[in-house]
Amino acid sequence: MGQILEYIKMALSNIRANKGRSFLTMLGIIIGISSVITIMGVGNGFEEEMNEQLAAFAGGQIYIYTNSEGQKNDEYLNSEDMETIEELEGVSGTSPDYMETGTTLAPKGTFDVTLRGGGTAQEEISGIKIVSGRYYNKGDISTGSHVCVIRKKDALKAFGTEDILGMNLEVSLYNNTVDMTIIGISESKNEDNMVSYDYAGDSISLEMPYTAFEAFGWETSESIYSFYVTTDGTVESGVVAQNALQLLNRRHYSQGEEYYQMQDYNDQVGQVNSMLGMITGFISFVAGISLLVGGIGVMNIMLVSVTERTREIGIRKSLGAKTSSITLQFLAESAIISCIGGLIGVVIGIGLAHAICSVPTLGFPPGIHVSTILFATLFSSGIGIFFGLYPARKAAKLSPIEALRRN
Amino acid sequence: MEKLIEIQDMCKIYNPGENEVWALNHVNLEVEEGEYVAIIGHSGSGKSTLMNMLGCLDVPTRGRYLLHGQDVSYMTDNELSAIRNVEIGFIFQGFNLIGNLNAIANVELPLVYRGVDRWERRELAEEALRMVGLEKRMTHKPSEMSGGQQQRVAIARAIAARPPVILADEPTGNLDSKSTQEIMGILRGLHREGRTVILITHDDEIADRARRIIRIMDGKIVEDVINENYEEGEETYAQE
Repeated sequence: MGQILEYIKMALSNIRANKGRSFLTMLGIIIGISSVITIMGVGNGFEEEMNEQLAAFAGGQIYIYTNSEGQKNDEYLNSEDMETIEELEGVSGTSPDYMETGTTLAPKGTFDVTLRGGGTAQEEISGIKIVSGRYYNKGDISTGSHVCVIRKKDALKAFGTEDILGMNLEVSLYNNTVDMTIIGISESKNEDNMVSYDYAGDSISLEMPYTAFEAFGWETSESIYSFYVTTDGTVESGVVAQNALQLLNRRHYSQGEEYYQMQDYNDQVGQVNSMLGMITGFISFVAGISLLVGGIGVMNIMLVSVTERTREIGIRKSLGAKTSSITLQFLAESAIISCIGGLIGVVIGIGLAHAICSVPTLGFPPGIHVSTILFATLFSSGIGIFFGLYPARKAAKLSPIEALRRN
Repeated sequence: MEKLIEIQDMCKIYNPGENEVWALNHVNLEVEEGEYVAIIGHSGSGKSTLMNMLGCLDVPTRGRYLLHGQDVSYMTDNELSAIRNVEIGFIFQGFNLIGNLNAIANVELPLVYRGVDRWERRELAEEALRMVGLEKRMTHKPSEMSGGQQQRVAIARAIAARPPVILADEPTGNLDSKSTQEIMGILRGLHREGRTVILITHDDEIADRARRIIRIMDGKIVEDVINENYEEGEETYAQE
């Protein structure tokens, strides 16, 4: 229908002829849409950032531990449990994540040292990347090799150089002193992670196979209180966790006794997400109310406009404009005003979201999705049409004589 | 000649009931194609009501109105709009141009509502504006023109779509004497071209320029004569 184009042209010329008023009409929509976009942008950005960090921190991890019942019956976990669980589908590794504090004598002096003993999953749990050398592997774990991985910054502190692969470090724990061979230098994957923490503090951190703790007189294959299980994503973590618990109960003949419990970090990530979603949803709802108010503003101004332009409507009708022509002309006007307002609102909203997110304490990219922009634009046009309908119908129903008589 | 307008026993009653006003009281009227008719009457005589009826702006309480062979007496609002668009060109006392549209856009309006495509529309509108001597004012807005010029734009708008009836309601009521002469000259020219012109006025002097004079009083036609003073002589369109 080519006529539609005519009505759009008429509407545009009218909007242009009343620039000031058109802008004021848009203002409500601009404020409404820009606040929705800002809130959704910041909210989604925050959620995505949290997700990413939680995933880096605890993605796909399950924590299994012996509960008080199990402890009472002396049914602690053992290394064989871990090995069997590693065979389960969807499991990528396990690690007891031991942590002890000792001292070390290094070329640069004596330092406190945090020893972290892990299994096959430890590299993932630690959230580190190897800068040079390698991480300890399954072989090192099964033989209990005296090898360790040191953080780059600790290497500089203890040796004054990073070039220390293959060197030995004298480590003392429980009055036992053992030489550990440095096989890798590591670096944290997410230095500025909001949810990461530095477990070692100022002390030097060494990561080694948990079996290496034998060297300090620690029985490592029995009496393990807890361990982590990491998943590879092929099987849902909840299922893996259930399977692992069942397996443990079978192995320890404790069906029905519940000696072991687990925490699924993925569940917690989900909970945090749904909470964030609720907060964003609620604030968006409040912003949505301002959109509604904006829409009513459009309706008000359109009603005033109809009253002011009664004569024009009369002229148009006398020249042959039908009810539908007048309705469409006024609808086009309110829809265009709202749509332009919506687009301006989107631009301002994106700008505001970027501005808020670039505040140093936040510093994450805003999550503005194309779907949000589309939705906002469609929604604002919808508001224009919905709230424009009443004034437009009112205008169209005017009798031409009445309309011409009025001045 | 063919009858263009046939009004049979038309009544228009306002406030039916206690304070009835018979604005039109059993009016009968016929107008043939190509006539130049003046309808004259004082205010309150019913001439405005008659003009609304003739212009299909209103429907009668009783009676019949045949316009160009169609019974338009009791059409709906939308049907009347379509009839007005095709059959009638209005010229109003207050010009009734749309303020934020320039001259040519104003003239194009009835063609827009008729669904004429933009090139043809522009051509017809330019032609109409040339006929009223405003080819140099096409892009001017009403506020940038004198009263006489505005009324000429309104005439161009009334003739652009070539409707069979041109209905002029006190076309010179807001104009000075010079502009009045111009406008009356144009109307006469339209008549000479063979168009049907109906002029509604309260002014005897203006009515005297038409070929046929119909006098209306208290809702009734009291006189319907051929004007003996009408001169068939040459008269050209007024130019600026």
